[in-house]
Amino acid sequence: MTKETFLHDKHVALNAKMVDFAGWHMPVQYSSIIEEHKTVRENVGLFDVSHMGELIVSGPDACPYLNKLVPQDITKLVDRKAVYCQLTNKQAGIIDDLIIYKLEDEKYLVIANAARIGEDLNWMVRNERGFNVSISNESHNYSLLAIQGPKAIDLMAKMGVVNLPPFFTIKRGELCNVNLWISRTGYTGEDGVEILVKNEFSELLWDKILEYGKEFGIRPIGLGARDTLRLEAALHLYGNDLSEDTTPIEAGLSWSVSKTKIEDYNGKAVIEDQLKNGAQKKLIGLVMTDRAIARHGYDVFYNGEKVGVITSGGISPVNQTNIALAYVKSIPEIDIDSLIQVEIRGKLYNAKVVKRPFIKKNNKG
Amino acid sequence: MSDNMLCSKSHEYVSGENGKYTIGLTDYAVEQLGDIVFIELPEVGSQFTKSEVFATVESVKAASEIYMPISGTVVEINEAIVEKPELLNDDPHGAGWLIKVDSDADDTEFADLLEYSDYKDEVE
Repeated sequence: MTKETFLHDKHVALNAKMVDFAGWHMPVQYSSIIEEHKTVRENVGLFDVSHMGELIVSGPDACPYLNKLVPQDITKLVDRKAVYCQLTNKQAGIIDDLIIYKLEDEKYLVIANAARIGEDLNWMVRNERGFNVSISNESHNYSLLAIQGPKAIDLMAKMGVVNLPPFFTIKRGELCNVNLWISRTGYTGEDGVEILVKNEFSELLWDKILEYGKEFGIRPIGLGARDTLRLEAALHLYGNDLSEDTTPIEAGLSWSVSKTKIEDYNGKAVIEDQLKNGAQKKLIGLVMTDRAIARHGYDVFYNGEKVGVITSGGISPVNQTNIALAYVKSIPEIDIDSLIQVEIRGKLYNAKVVKRPFIKKNNKG
Repeated sequence: MSDNMLCSKSHEYVSGENGKYTIGLTDYAVEQLGDIVFIELPEVGSQFTKSEVFATVESVKAASEIYMPISGTVVEINEAIVEKPELLNDDPHGAGWLIKVDSDADDTEFADLLEYSDYKDEVE
């Protein structure tokens, strides 16, 4: 059965176009994806991302346990700090990509993708043996609202929150007399916050944020613009750009892999080998130089040979170009400025390899 | 234009008479697609049979194939919407037309097309 967030009726009342996404009935757009995209780049947007999963990992072994699950070094995490990381299997394939927050000693919050919560929990339980730890799925108790854009901070100040946590940090806060968690994170490449709140307060907050946000040009933002925003920022989407057949190194995520961690973790041997000897495939960013749009699943060619596949593709509303992420054979000839081709409806179209992200990010990341 | 317009269940419209027709996408289809960002049209002179793919319309989210509601030979394409795809969002039944065709389609080809009002009842 399709699930609904506690804000479902709000979306319907706003005339949102609703779609099924990862088992949830979610708003894909309220007005126009391009308008919503520009609102987040220029002003501020409000997203309901309550479909995301929230897991609490606690107990005396919470830290060494999480440290076994991800390539990041969780022992380095201080209270209220967060890290982006991946849940890896023994072959270093990515089961999910996560943000892990240290709330306090022996207590961590894990934010997971909606479609992967079941797989994550399954894998986490399988790895529990020998650790004194408890895993609790709190996803059904919490709503998650994202407030993103250059005016997000001004809006928070207007609502009485002046001491925002630094980038990738979480704090307890209060908004409209509601106690909640405020995190300086997002999935847009813009500055902003994500607010984790008990379900019963989410409707009140949604209304208040839109009301206070009016003078800042706020709009509600659907999953359509969430996707174009994250693609411009070259942020990976699980299921498109990440899967169990992809390692963090292949995905261009070696920055999120600890090179100094002494403890063993799932997939460590593969990751260390790929760091030392290179991987078979690599993630690249593309800008189409011919007039065509690359989409997920299209084949990529170099010198007449099939070398890979597009994993995410679409438009950059800010640059007014067509952009894509692709995995290609890891050969030195394919590098920044290389000309490659994408097969679209039976014809080859030119594209250029470019640096990621496709836009200048405006957060402190 | 809506008066003599017939629509296919795959959301193309055809309007005109006496073998000269204009083909486009219905307002309902355009509304469902959202922001249209890219349109690929066939070359003038191309021939298509009924139900054959003749164009591609891409929204922000996906590429959609567009099917011939009747058979015909392309005599004109709408260059303006190739340059400005948003015209299709603004005026799908007017300035946002896709192609004009010469067609000798007989009644059997028109048999499964719906009057606009019946089409609207069907899709909404």
